[in-house]
Amino acid sequence: MAARRTRGMTGPDVSRSTVARAASIAEQLRYECSILLELFREKESFTADVLVDGRLVSVTPPSSQLDTRDKLWRLHSALMQCRSLLERAIAREEEELGGGKKGDYETQRKMVKDRLSYLLICTGELLKTAGGAALLTPSLEGLELDGPTALFELKLWVYRIFKEVDYWTKTAITTLDALPSVIAKERVRTSRVRTTRSTRR
Amino acid sequence: MPHLSVNPSSKPNCSTVWLISVLLGLLAVHTNANDVLTVPQQVSLSTNMDSQQLSISWVAGAATTFDLMILRTELNESVFYETVSVMVSQLSGRHEWNWTSVEPLQCTSLSIKVRSREGQSTSEWSNTEILQGSDLPSEEEWQMFPLDRVVPVGANTTFCCIVKEGEQFGTINYGNTVMNTTRLSRRSYATTVVNQGLSRTSGTNVICYNSFKELKIGAVLFVGYPPLLSDFVCETHDLTSAVCLWNERNTNLNTKTRGTRHMLNNRTFTLSWSRNPKKECRVDHWEGNWTLVAVNPLGQYSLTDSAELSHRVTPVAPENLTSVAHAMNATVLWQWKYDGYSSLALVCQVELTSQGYKTNHTFSGVDLRAVVLPDLYPYEDYSVQVRCGAQQNFWKWGSWSETMSFKSSSIVPEAPDMWVWMNKDYTGQVFWKPLTRRQSRGLMTGYEVTLWSPGESLQHTDILPPDTFAVPVNLTLMATASSDNMVMATVTAKNTEGVSLPASVLIHLRLTDTDPRAVSQAVYTDSGFSLFWQSDVNTTCAYVVEWHNASCKWNCPVDWIKVAPGNTNVSIESANFQPGVRYNFSLYSSSSEAPELLQRWQGYMQELVPSSPVLSLLTTQEDSDILLTWGHIPLVNRRGFLLGYNIYISSGSQLTLLANLSDPGSRSYTVKGLSEGSYKFTVKAYTSAGEDTGATASIMLEPFTDWLILEILASLGVTALFLVIVTFLCYKKRKWVKKAFYPDIPEPKLPGDWSRSQAPLDVKPPHHSLVHMVERPEWDSSKEALVVIPEEDEDEDGQGIGDELVDTDEPTSLRYYNQVVDERPIRPRYPDSSDSSASSLDSARTDVTYTGIHTSGSSFVFQLDPQGSSEGHQPQADPSFCAGGGGGYRPQMQSRVPSDDTGSASPNPFPEPQAASGYKPQSSWQMDSPVDDGEGRSRASSLGSPTSIASTLFLLPDGEDHTEEKRQPSSSSAATWLTNLLSSTKP
Repeated sequence: MAARRTRGMTGPDVSRSTVARAASIAEQLRYECSILLELFREKESFTADVLVDGRLVSVTPPSSQLDTRDKLWRLHSALMQCRSLLERAIAREEEELGGGKKGDYETQRKMVKDRLSYLLICTGELLKTAGGAALLTPSLEGLELDGPTALFELKLWVYRIFKEVDYWTKTAITTLDALPSVIAKERVRTSRVRTTRSTRR
Repeated sequence: MPHLSVNPSSKPNCSTVWLISVLLGLLAVHTNANDVLTVPQQVSLSTNMDSQQLSISWVAGAATTFDLMILRTELNESVFYETVSVMVSQLSGRHEWNWTSVEPLQCTSLSIKVRSREGQSTSEWSNTEILQGSDLPSEEEWQMFPLDRVVPVGANTTFCCIVKEGEQFGTINYGNTVMNTTRLSRRSYATTVVNQGLSRTSGTNVICYNSFKELKIGAVLFVGYPPLLSDFVCETHDLTSAVCLWNERNTNLNTKTRGTRHMLNNRTFTLSWSRNPKKECRVDHWEGNWTLVAVNPLGQYSLTDSAELSHRVTPVAPENLTSVAHAMNATVLWQWKYDGYSSLALVCQVELTSQGYKTNHTFSGVDLRAVVLPDLYPYEDYSVQVRCGAQQNFWKWGSWSETMSFKSSSIVPEAPDMWVWMNKDYTGQVFWKPLTRRQSRGLMTGYEVTLWSPGESLQHTDILPPDTFAVPVNLTLMATASSDNMVMATVTAKNTEGVSLPASVLIHLRLTDTDPRAVSQAVYTDSGFSLFWQSDVNTTCAYVVEWHNASCKWNCPVDWIKVAPGNTNVSIESANFQPGVRYNFSLYSSSSEAPELLQRWQGYMQELVPSSPVLSLLTTQEDSDILLTWGHIPLVNRRGFLLGYNIYISSGSQLTLLANLSDPGSRSYTVKGLSEGSYKFTVKAYTSAGEDTGATASIMLEPFTDWLILEILASLGVTALFLVIVTFLCYKKRKWVKKAFYPDIPEPKLPGDWSRSQAPLDVKPPHHSLVHMVERPEWDSSKEALVVIPEEDEDEDGQGIGDELVDTDEPTSLRYYNQVVDERPIRPRYPDSSDSSASSLDSARTDVTYTGIHTSGSSFVFQLDPQGSSEGHQPQADPSFCAGGGGGYRPQMQSRVPSDDTGSASPNPFPEPQAASGYKPQSSWQMDSPVDDGEGRSRASSLGSPTSIASTLFLLPDGEDHTEEKRQPSSSSAATWLTNLLSSTKP
């Protein structure tokens, strides 16, 4: 089955431009995530080496046995959990810790959430292209969305979610980078174009 | 007790027994008391963790005073130990006492025990009750207390961190601040934050780190204010619903869970966060009474309001404004959002804005939807906005409507304001002021200037573009043709709507060069030049005040202002006024006749120092004085009214004020009393602003020669007068003088034949004998002598005589009287010396009365100071010495020629006094002198000696007694001098 799916992915079925766009969004999201983490640490007087243990997102463990479609599925599922956690974190934060004037942190937080949604659309398209609509809705069952009640624990939980988004964004970049070489070459070309544009800016 | 036991004088048995009895009694009482105080029983604890309050209750009968002790169980440290008074609770029958801990009660276990006290007596301690902390070994993890606390600004809060079993405590940070900590137990550490300031929106983190600086646990603290409300009021816009408004301070607690919750009439509502302290809440129906309550974790605040609806009407802003504009008025129309306003009596304010100026018009009425705005300017841009309020029970103005703009219609322009400037001939200029936008009343198209002679039918018209405001005129032709010497100048303005009314000025063509009016000074104040004039009760005309730069004389750009009749003063202000510029102001009557000059002023907006010094500063010496003259300063350079001049004399770089001339018309100044020398003078004109830089001129003051001449003449006159007086006195006293100084000389009785005729001996020196004056510095004055240098080819026989007697190179007649002269040739006593000097080289021919000279020589030689002679007596000496003989012509001095010069021809030189005696032809007479008594021989012999007829001097003083005579120089010399004087004055 995996071989069949892989064969299916090697053909022109997979949109090269979609992969490239997803990779580009993931790159952008990683950058924005780093800024969000920095703003959060600054807001809460956290040092960069604050340790948050454990993963909030639960997906199948990575394996070399997974074919491309499964990797995409795993990535898509993790990103969906990230978005759910992020939305919940924002809601809890607004409720317990927010209010008042909105600043850079709130703006950046919304930007990350929107970018993550955009990336999810791209990975969804890739997954749809690869495997069909029946598998497009990963389950969020078992995901701890309530978070702690103590406010300091809540802050650490929010920080963990941001770190989780950051982690899975990097994973997305790696995964998209590891797609078949034909697609990768296409992405490289796109990246070059983007790099050129960035240089022009 | 030992003291008692060792006292031998006491009664030991009785005293000891008595004391023991007392002590036993006291002991018994004490034992009974202990038995009475009840040990507290059934001690129980209850806690309120949020308020950190510990409630202790116990049973202790009727006791009311207790000792309470609270210890930290692990370290056995006393936290609280006090005696408290606690009454029995009627409800529970127990003693209850509350204690609030500084630290959260979870921080560590506390041991509590109680005992009863009555005075100094106490019961036993109760059983110890322990309040278990969260640092028990069973709770291994990191913990922190309190969690998520909300406190008011300025409060103190203590936090504790319980370390996980097996780990080491590091620090506690409050925000970014590392706090000082106190150890409460083996695992519990506490810190206190004092006088807390506002926290962040998301609260301030209190974080506990382990010894590896790893974040382990934390809490969040919110610091804010309790709610505070003000100015709560409810009103209506639509005449149905209510809008309640109030002000509220920012509590800094803005989260949903800790933010302020509001209730209006017990209905909760939510406010969106806003930095604006003004809050509002809408209620669908007018209730009449309202209560607003605001609550947050730190407290609550409530306000009430009540009012009838008709008293709280605040109309909404009018909508859809439109206008119908005319030239002088406009109608403004609007609509209302609510139909209910149709029956509402309103008062409306219309704000009209034009060219930046705002005017308000107020209108009122029921169902007010349109108003007419009067007094508008034609062709003017306006903007208008409207707001309204309830006419009855006015509460407040509603909001302003949106601004609506319109433009009024245009009409013909106003007549321009014109004036005429005429030069000294028939030329001039017609001016008019540019019409303002309001005066134009439309789009300007141009001006029309007409000159016409009312008496004749002469007319000249110029049509000018709208940007022209002056036109030159030449009335020469009209002046020659006009019989009444009047020309009317008329100016009209034209715009798209038509031509304005004409403005005109009647010009009188009679030219006069004189200015009939005196000029006053105009003073500039903050409001401009203030001009005043006398009112003429008979005239009701208006006035025109014209002004221009005073230095302008031809085609001057004048400005003017028209003054209404009856006014007697005006303040002239203009943006064109410049400091330091003199302006001429002229007041004219303005009537149907030609303007008549009534008064004139001159003034400066601000006086400055003159920009240039006086012109043509000259210095002239007049006798011993110096006359300074200068010219005027040109008017344009004066820059102020000249008040005078300061005259300075400069010495080096410093100016010294000589004089202050307060007359600005001064043009000269005489400096007196200066001595000779060079002088530099500076003249500075000054105004009220100060002096100019000054003009400088120098002069060399020469000595005044006339005075010198006068002084010389005066000296000579005095001298001559003196001589005349002396001569007169001598003449008057000549008998006495003769008797005193020239007694009659008896006839000499000679033993020999003296029958020779007495004739003067004429000695005529050779014509060509030369007298050389030889100055021999090594000689003293006594060695100066005249040496007669005989000419070789002259008569050898007369050489000796000539050598002796002649001192000039001209033939000189030396006359001797034969009665005193031997027939023998006169022979010099010492040989010639051709090297000898002679004085009086300049004399060409000199008549010498030798006897006088002789006597003079014999007397004056010795009375002179030799050294003085050598220094002061030159051969061609000062005229003053001519009569004295000290340095004068002294032929007898030849005897004093040094022996070196005489050489071997004088083997026996005379001693000095003898040498001075000179020629003595009367030596034979000496023999017959009647008086020869040795000691008084000199005077006696002199008196008896032969004398010259001419001088009557004693020709032969005794040579041997000359030394003696020398001792008496003063008397003899004075007599001799007088004798000489008299003899020289004889004819």
